[in-house]
Amino acid sequence: MRLPAPFRTTPFRLTLMFLAVFLLAGEVTRRADQEIGAEMRSLETVYRQGGVDALNQALIERTADGRPFLYLLTGKGGMHTGSIATSPFEAGETGWKQFRVTGTDPNGAVVRQPARGEQVVLATGEQLFVGADIGQAEYFVVKIVRALQGAGALMVILGLAGGLLVSRNVSRAMAGLNAVVAAVRGGDLHARAKVRGARDEFDELAAGLNDMLDRLERSMAGLRHAGDAIAHDLRSPLTRLRARLEVALLDVEAGKGDPKAALAQALEDAEGVLRTFSAVLAIARLQAAGPAPDPATFDPADLAAGVAELYEPVCEEKGLEFRVEMTPQLVARGNREFVAQAVANLLDNAVKYTPEGGAVVLRVRRRSSGEIEFSVTDTGPGVPEAERARIVQRFVRLENSRNLPGAGLGLSLVAAVAESHRGRLEIDEGPGAVEGSGPGLRVALVLPRAT
Amino acid sequence: MARGLGEAGHECQIASDGAYGLDMARQDQFDVMVVDRMMPRMDGLSMIETLRRDGDRTPVLVLSALGEIDDRVAGLKAGGDDYLVKPYAFAELSARVEALARRHETGSVQTVLKVGDLEMDLIHRRVARQGKEIDLQPREFQLLEFMMRHAGQSVTRTMLLEKVWEYHFDPQTNVIDVHVSRLRSKIDKGFDRPMLQTVRGAGYRLDA
Repeated sequence: MRLPAPFRTTPFRLTLMFLAVFLLAGEVTRRADQEIGAEMRSLETVYRQGGVDALNQALIERTADGRPFLYLLTGKGGMHTGSIATSPFEAGETGWKQFRVTGTDPNGAVVRQPARGEQVVLATGEQLFVGADIGQAEYFVVKIVRALQGAGALMVILGLAGGLLVSRNVSRAMAGLNAVVAAVRGGDLHARAKVRGARDEFDELAAGLNDMLDRLERSMAGLRHAGDAIAHDLRSPLTRLRARLEVALLDVEAGKGDPKAALAQALEDAEGVLRTFSAVLAIARLQAAGPAPDPATFDPADLAAGVAELYEPVCEEKGLEFRVEMTPQLVARGNREFVAQAVANLLDNAVKYTPEGGAVVLRVRRRSSGEIEFSVTDTGPGVPEAERARIVQRFVRLENSRNLPGAGLGLSLVAAVAESHRGRLEIDEGPGAVEGSGPGLRVALVLPRAT
Repeated sequence: MARGLGEAGHECQIASDGAYGLDMARQDQFDVMVVDRMMPRMDGLSMIETLRRDGDRTPVLVLSALGEIDDRVAGLKAGGDDYLVKPYAFAELSARVEALARRHETGSVQTVLKVGDLEMDLIHRRVARQGKEIDLQPREFQLLEFMMRHAGQSVTRTMLLEKVWEYHFDPQTNVIDVHVSRLRSKIDKGFDRPMLQTVRGAGYRLDA
């Protein structure tokens, strides 16, 4: 990929090429030897059947025929027949030899070509030599091998240098990553790997590591925040609960008051504490879990219709006009239950904050970007622009909502659902101020297009 | 828990760990088992799976400190019949135990439900009280069906939301109360005796 390619492939290719050339050279020699051997056997047969004279005759004929062999028969008394002047072998020597012959190429130029030959000593003491010119093939192969050997040496040097460079680079990059891992292991969650900008695997790894650490840090911070928030938010209702029980106990001891009512009230307080506790836990888990669990494909209008059906009576009871506008047959992907809960929370808020006579609209549509939008618009007092980012945080409740029930966790959960689906939460002004009501609020859960 | 269930008129036996619980379940015939997921020696889900493999069909309520949706799915897949996440109110637990015990009794398929002078025809989707037909929306019908199947028992808002609407979260507003009061106005209005009671601290109960 982005590692220097020659470093990985060149030595390999070079080796392959050398191997091919050597095999080729070996093949040429082997075939020449085979043919020379065959010619030699055939001449030996002639000698066995007809003696030296017949052999002599055969050599003369074969030379005249233009067979592609070099012959030489030498013997006692200056006997000398054949196509070459001297044998490359010593007198009495036998076996195989590689040598050079001088000849002319087709253009008439004198060339010295490689040749191979075999010499045997006959039963009557003569020496018979048969050879062949192994020609241009061998010659070029030798040249190529020489050239390649030179190039190969250069490649080896370059390869070694490149390898050294790369490995130094690798160990430097690894050292950076290792340092980050060591720092994180030591407890420093802020440590981040340096992205060098080379766009290689190491940058990818560094970016991935950083992203992982970002998420880890966020979820750690989220958990810590949730812990603090739980401690903070549960302290006052728990204190209230304790006080109520104390008073009830005193009343019982004094024989006055209604202990039953006090206990019922205490039970209700405890319920509230438990509800807050589970809501905070649900948010923290969603944030810590990463991508939404159990994703499925669903029809968003279908989902919204179900939630709308749940909220329709409560709207009617409060004297709110409730409208649902949905585009049918869309496709969304995510955890149905979480998305339904998020839409329910949006409706919860709208119902809670919109005064009697107002209107609430639940809308499901597909944006031109392909994203799926669930939005709830109300005609309540709305939220000043400066406060909109804040109301998403846990336990944040605006001044004018303190007297209403709730723990300030509804939108935090919607935001957590949005994040776990790689979507987002949008908060805008509603339809505007009309006759003392409004300007209203429009909150949208936007999910990415289903792929 | 055992004391509370005892006071509600149930006889309880307690197993201190999963392996002991399995032995007990194999030796005795229970109406309902309440099984905690996290127990020493054998976890709750393995215990339920083992029992189900043996052919034991006793209704099981799974208790868990984990509350993720996939945990619930795992609990039900293992063979649990209902799932309750800690912390829970005792009223919630007791209502669910009773609902499970009741379900065990009425195994046969019913086509007509009858509670006092209230009658529900499940095939023709018709409801009548004292012979007078009552017109219900589909969801109101389901809600009443659930209440009638658990007549005389407390059912909590969470149970209604889970069993009738199939949502596993708690809305902040009193959406369920409004649905129930709509239903109440249809089945009780104009009759001298109200059937749909509000149970303080628990939920609702349909009385004959």
